[in-house]
Amino acid sequence: MSDGKRRLFSQVELGDELPDLHPDVSMPVVYRFAHDAAYMPAARFIDHEGARKEGLPAAIVPGIMSQGLLASLVHRWCPEANILRIDTIFRAPVLVDSDPVCRGVVTATDDESRTVEIDLTIVNESNETRVVGTAHVALPVD
Amino acid sequence: MDVEKLKEDWVGLEFDVVEFEMSGEEMVAWAETCGETAPRFTDPGDPDFQAPATFTAKFLGRRAFPKGFPQIGRGPGFDAGKSVEIHAPVRPGDVLTARSHIADIYPKTGRSGPMLFIVHRMIFENQNGDRVSVVDWRRVLQPEEKLS
Amino acid sequence: MILDLHTHSIKSDDAKARVENYCQWIRKREIPLDGFVLTEHRQFDGESDYRAIEDEFGMVILKASEVETDYGHVLVFGVTPDLLHAFDFARIDLPLADVLEESQRCGAVAVPCHPGRPRVGLCAHIEARGDVEGVQWIEVFNGGSRSGEDEASLELARKRGYGGIGGSDSHIVSHIGRCVTRFEDSVHSIEQLVSALRSGRFEAESWMSKN
Repeated sequence: MSDGKRRLFSQVELGDELPDLHPDVSMPVVYRFAHDAAYMPAARFIDHEGARKEGLPAAIVPGIMSQGLLASLVHRWCPEANILRIDTIFRAPVLVDSDPVCRGVVTATDDESRTVEIDLTIVNESNETRVVGTAHVALPVD
Repeated sequence: MDVEKLKEDWVGLEFDVVEFEMSGEEMVAWAETCGETAPRFTDPGDPDFQAPATFTAKFLGRRAFPKGFPQIGRGPGFDAGKSVEIHAPVRPGDVLTARSHIADIYPKTGRSGPMLFIVHRMIFENQNGDRVSVVDWRRVLQPEEKLS
Repeated sequence: MILDLHTHSIKSDDAKARVENYCQWIRKREIPLDGFVLTEHRQFDGESDYRAIEDEFGMVILKASEVETDYGHVLVFGVTPDLLHAFDFARIDLPLADVLEESQRCGAVAVPCHPGRPRVGLCAHIEARGDVEGVQWIEVFNGGSRSGEDEASLELARKRGYGGIGGSDSHIVSHIGRCVTRFEDSVHSIEQLVSALRSGRFEAESWMSKN
C-alpha cells in the first residue's frame, strides 16, 4: 500500500528505491485476472496440470499481468504518477502460487519534463530475474 | 528463411482494424488483481475513474499476422514482452479503434534457441479520434528452418 | 582499473539503458567502476561518440560487440573495419571458428560470453558437438546467470586454462556493475583493453550482492 503521502517530483532523486511489492499471484487471483479482466483463460495460466502438459513447470502468470503488477508498483509509490510508457521483457515465467517480488528504482530524473525513469524487475524466490523493464513516469509538481 | 525479405515484404503494412468497447468491470478486475489501490483505477464512482495504465495490452485483433504471412515454426509462438505508451486516459464506455501493423522483424538466439522476433504494433484511438495508447507486442516464433 | 566488460545500451534491441544514465547511476551509487564496455547485440555501433560523456563523468566508455555463433554468443573487443568486412555481425549462425580466426587476424579478441547458459553458451555446444580450437578467454561471471551457470563457466575455464572475464550483461541501468573485470594495467582505449586481455593480467569479479 502507499504510505498515503504525496510524492512530488521535487522530492524524488536518482537512486530512490520504490518499496518492494509482494504481489498476490495465487491461483484465485490469476484466475480472476485471466477470466474477468483479460479474457485469456488458457490452461497455461489457470491450471497447473494443464500447464505441465504444455511443458511448463506449473501455471504461469500472464505476461500482461506481470506488467500490470509493475505498473501498480509505481502507483503505490506515487498514487498521482502518470505512466507515460512502460516496457517489459518477459525473460522467464513467473509461476502461479509462487512468491515473486516486484522492485523498482529511479535511474534518471528530468527537471524540464518533471519525469523520471524507473527500472523495474520481478524476481522469484531465488532472486532470479523473471521480468525486467523500465517505465517513464510523470510525477506531480504541486 | 530470408529475414531481410520478410521485413521488406511485411514491415509497415497495416493488416487489421478492429473496435473494442471498454468495460468498467474489466477495468476494476484488472486493477484489483494487479494490486492497484488508487481509487481512480479501482472505484467506478471516482470522478477520474480510468483503465489501469497497461490495460490496452490485453487486446488482440482478429489476426495475429497479416493474411499471407508465412507459417513459421509450430503454433502461435510466445510473448517475449510488451511496451505500452499511454497518451490519454481510457474511460468505461470508450470505443477504441485499434490498427495493427508489423513494426519490426529480427532474428536472435537465446535460452530457447534460435528465435524470430515479430513486433506487432497496435495503435489505439478513441471515438473522438484521440490517440490513447500504442502497444508493441514482441512475439517470438521458433522457426524450424535456418534463418539467413 | 575496474571495467564492466559486458553492457548494452538502447542500441541493442532488448536494452533500455542510456549511456549517460549508466554514468549518472555509477556516480550516484558510488560504484567503484572506472568504466564500461558497450557490447551491442549483433552490430558494432560505429556512429555513437561518447567522449563528451566520458569527460563529464570521468569514465572510460568503450565500444565492442556481442555476436551470435554456432557455439553461442561471443563478445568481440577491438572491432575494426577489416573485421566488419570479414563476417556479417547481424547473423545469428556465424561459425565460431571463423569469428575466432578473423578476430585474431584483425587484431581483435573474441570471448565467448555466458558459456554456462543453456543453448547460447559454449559449454552446451561443446558437450553436444565437441571442442573448437582458438578459444583463449571466456566470460566466467555474467550478471544474468542463473544458479550453476557461472560455476560451469569457471569449471570450463579452469579445465582449459582460459582467461576469465566478468561483465554484468546489463540491459537496464541499475544492473551495471554486477560483474566486472579488474585489470592490473591502465585501460583507456580499446587497443589498451585488447592488450590487457592478451597480457592475462586481469581477474573477473562478481559483485552481485553489492549492486
